[in-house]
Amino acid sequence: MSSLEISALCKRYGPAVALDGVSLTAGQGELVSLLGPSGCGKTTALRCIAGFIDPDDGDIRANGVSILATPSSKRDFGVVFQNYALFPHLNVAENVGYGLLFRKGSKAERERRVREVLEQVQLVGLEHRLPRELSGGQQQRVALARALVIQPRLLLLDEPLANLDARLRDDVRWLIRDVQQASRTTAFYVTHDQAEAMAISDKIAVMKNGKVAQFASPREIYQRPAERYVASFTGEANFLAAEVERALGGGLFRVRAGGATLDVRGAGPFAGSAVLLARPESLAIVTDGTGQLEGRVVKSVFLGAVQHCEVVLRDGASVRLGTPPDRPLPADGTVSVRLDVDRTWLMPDAVP
Amino acid sequence: MTVASLGSRASRLAGSSLIVLLYAFLLIPLVAVVAASLTAGEFMRLPPEGLSLRWFARFFQRGDLVEALLMSLRIALVSTLVTGIVALMAALASQSLSRRMAVWFQIGMTLPLLIPELLTAIGLLFFLYRIGLGKTVLGLQIGHIVLAFPYCYVSIAAALRQIDPALDDASGSLGASGWQTFRHVTLPLAMPGLVMGAVFAFITSFDLYTVSLLLKPIGGNTLPLALFDFLTYEFSPTAAAAATMSVLLAFAGVAVIQKLVGLQRAF
Repeated sequence: MSSLEISALCKRYGPAVALDGVSLTAGQGELVSLLGPSGCGKTTALRCIAGFIDPDDGDIRANGVSILATPSSKRDFGVVFQNYALFPHLNVAENVGYGLLFRKGSKAERERRVREVLEQVQLVGLEHRLPRELSGGQQQRVALARALVIQPRLLLLDEPLANLDARLRDDVRWLIRDVQQASRTTAFYVTHDQAEAMAISDKIAVMKNGKVAQFASPREIYQRPAERYVASFTGEANFLAAEVERALGGGLFRVRAGGATLDVRGAGPFAGSAVLLARPESLAIVTDGTGQLEGRVVKSVFLGAVQHCEVVLRDGASVRLGTPPDRPLPADGTVSVRLDVDRTWLMPDAVP
Repeated sequence: MTVASLGSRASRLAGSSLIVLLYAFLLIPLVAVVAASLTAGEFMRLPPEGLSLRWFARFFQRGDLVEALLMSLRIALVSTLVTGIVALMAALASQSLSRRMAVWFQIGMTLPLLIPELLTAIGLLFFLYRIGLGKTVLGLQIGHIVLAFPYCYVSIAAALRQIDPALDDASGSLGASGWQTFRHVTLPLAMPGLVMGAVFAFITSFDLYTVSLLLKPIGGNTLPLALFDFLTYEFSPTAAAAATMSVLLAFAGVAVIQKLVGLQRAF
């Protein structure tokens, strides 16, 4: 149980830069997700923390003390691997108890501790099975139990749900969150799935080409993304090209976008052009005259609970939004769209 | 019945008869030798004239053959032990090489397989005389180790390649030192390859002829050499009895693999 601080971490493989000045902090008991597409450096960062690879530059401190000189076997970090990496020749109890072999404690204590953790991950009764006799979800639980049994200072999870089917993924995800919270263990969680990261994290670091594009709470990442890349990686997003007319003060800006003049929120300063983020849920087709935007429905898909529409606005930009499924669309497709300006976000056009 | 199904039946039939022929080709010599060794008559002949074990008894009455058998066993055992340990260390070392280096390393380790045995033997002969080990048991032993090594190495290296490298990381992150990881993870998982490599090394050393012929120590003989000498003067079923015992030894090796690791996993 500790806090972790990563500062200006760099790692190069020949000409390729895997990590380019990554800085992150995790407070005690926090779960921090590293979110990004494959090749963005999130797994490299995790492997540096675990001590499997050495960074070229930068520092990693646990409770304020640098751990770079400490080999992984002395760091006391529990690691859950993407492919589980269970020892195939050892049964469940032996796999889970493996880390205790190298720590103080009698055989009886070890067995008690193994039983305790197996209860925690709901695997009691499978002690004598070999990994290959278990389902994917069970193997994942064993991997989690094996990492937890040593009461790690830090829990590192590398895409722990990637190899599970959708239904199991939810179960195991909640299990991970529960045991992490119950043991108050600080954790780093690598994933490429934004929904997973949103649901489980205290903080998310969205990564892009070896850099941290934004490091903030899930709410902030979703509602106030620093750039277009972050917004598009954290859920459905419509982007409208916007001309900033002037700042109104108090974080409000008057812009021209989608063929209308709007007052929207953003974190300026902006000069000239910017990008307006409008999540689908901030848009609605209205008939009461409150819509600021005019457009034409070019496509609609009935999905049961909701109907997805694609609307081309007057200035040619197209946006996607949802409408109640039982509402008929006008025959000529011309609609008025209301933009909930409190749920929009103005971002810089290009990130330096 | 269509022409097509007739054709596929014919080809299936041809396929199975080919396999039967192949097995017959491989097994008939063995069956013949074993049968000949069990004869009650005076000559190696098929079918055997009655059944008896007297040629096995005769073999053990021949001091020169028994001595050669013991020497072969001793040398094969030492070869197995030494190649097993050295090949394991070499295979472990090869894992930390880059992919390109590993290819060259593998070629180097298996060089005795690629070079004709006779050439290796002649080279060894010069070399051993040079360092003062010509015509000694130790020299012969070195020759056997050199030739048994590649089989052992290939088998162990293949087993190590099967091990997920993440297991190393996992073991380390749980607090195991390098040696503890080797003892608790690497060694148990490499065991099938190690046992198979050891059996290969033993059988290879036990059967080696050319190298033994050139490097044999003064006054010493291995079983294959002794049998060849024996056959030049006498054509009795004693030789068949010796051959039968060699076959049984090979089967014993296979049985060891089956017992310890299971054939399915070994091959």
